[in-house]
Amino acid sequence: MKKIVTLQQSIMAEDEKFAAAIREENRKRGLLMVNLIGSPGCGKTTLLEKTAELGGFPFAVIEGDLATDRDAERLAGWDIPVVQINTAGGCHLEANIVQKAMESLPLDSVDVLFIENVGNLVCPAEFDLGEDFKAALLSTPEGADKPLKYPYLFASSQVVLLTKTDLLPHLSFDMEMFTEDVKKLNPEAPVLLLDASSGEGYDRWISLLQERIREKRAHGR
Amino acid sequence: MHEVSLVESIVTALEKMMEEEGWTQISEVRLRIGVLRQVNPEILSFAFETVTKGTPLEGARLFVTDVPLEYRCRECGQMWGEEDGLCPACGSPSRETLAGMELEIESLEVEENP
Ligand SMILES: Nc1nc2c(ncn2[C@@H]2O[C@H](COP(=O)(O)OP(=O)(O)OP(=O)(O)O)[C@@H](O)[C@H]2O)c(=O)[nH]1
Ligand SMILES: [Mg+2]
Ligand SMILES: [Zn+2]
Repeated sequence: MKKIVTLQQSIMAEDEKFAAAIREENRKRGLLMVNLIGSPGCGKTTLLEKTAELGGFPFAVIEGDLATDRDAERLAGWDIPVVQINTAGGCHLEANIVQKAMESLPLDSVDVLFIENVGNLVCPAEFDLGEDFKAALLSTPEGADKPLKYPYLFASSQVVLLTKTDLLPHLSFDMEMFTEDVKKLNPEAPVLLLDASSGEGYDRWISLLQERIREKRAHGR
Repeated sequence: MHEVSLVESIVTALEKMMEEEGWTQISEVRLRIGVLRQVNPEILSFAFETVTKGTPLEGARLFVTDVPLEYRCRECGQMWGEEDGLCPACGSPSRETLAGMELEIESLEVEENP
């Protein structure tokens, strides 16, 4: 016998249960969780290194990587607790795997848990990991047209980080188009310009994080 | 690539549901997908055909409804649909996204033992 079943449920319903559990855990802990998403090589690990250098608050990292543990090694040099998740070719992290990885991190003694997602502008944005917010990273050599080409990431992130701004003099990066397009997709998200070679721009990133850490602590713990 | 991830999530969810509900077959799957999700319909159908091979969903028909963007201004309540940043009525940047982000299984046609 045939029948029609109305579901109206998210395709990601299963993942969302894990994400909700992580969110609840972190709420109780007062732990801020930030999901970093951008292309391969856009500067995600560099951002974490600069945050360790300039931030002055303890944090832990979950590294999503297709195959290697290079990024985890780089961060271990900063005394940052890191867990590496090898996705073995998988293009994104999922909440059930992140939840397991969290068990092996000293989360009660840090203020922030960063997720360095797999380098990709599409899939990682689809999967809710239970984070407080997503940060979209774009490096200047990738081109100013990327926000409209990958709208979901830029529309669903709470902050947009344009990295490698020191290279701007060598590129024909249309900054006006970039900021206009981001504003169309996400009028309230701040756009921060970061240059890792001079350290310019990181003060805003650090103060944004400090403010979010304070808010999170005030509601948890 | 992400079409494949989506289909895999769908298949996992539906296989589980099939077992729990005791359906013998799923013959039709209807999805609602928001325009901001950048799902390519051809890649999605191809991924669906490929991923469902050898699963209880093999041969099921797939229908996708595109859901257009819909924003509502938090200041004045104006609704609009283009991918434009500020409220067309009052210029406020504060808006809610009501539609356009969906990744939803709307309904199924299933076969049950009488
Ligand atoms: N010129 C310049 N180079 C940068 C900047 N930030 C990062 N890089 C360089 O870009 C390259 C990639 O940086 P990573 O931080 O490894 O990028 P990633 O996003 O972590 O890369 P994957 O994890 O492999 O996807 C490295 O050679 C960095 O030194 C910057 O602000 N300016
Ligand atoms: Mg990296
Ligand atoms: Zn308005």
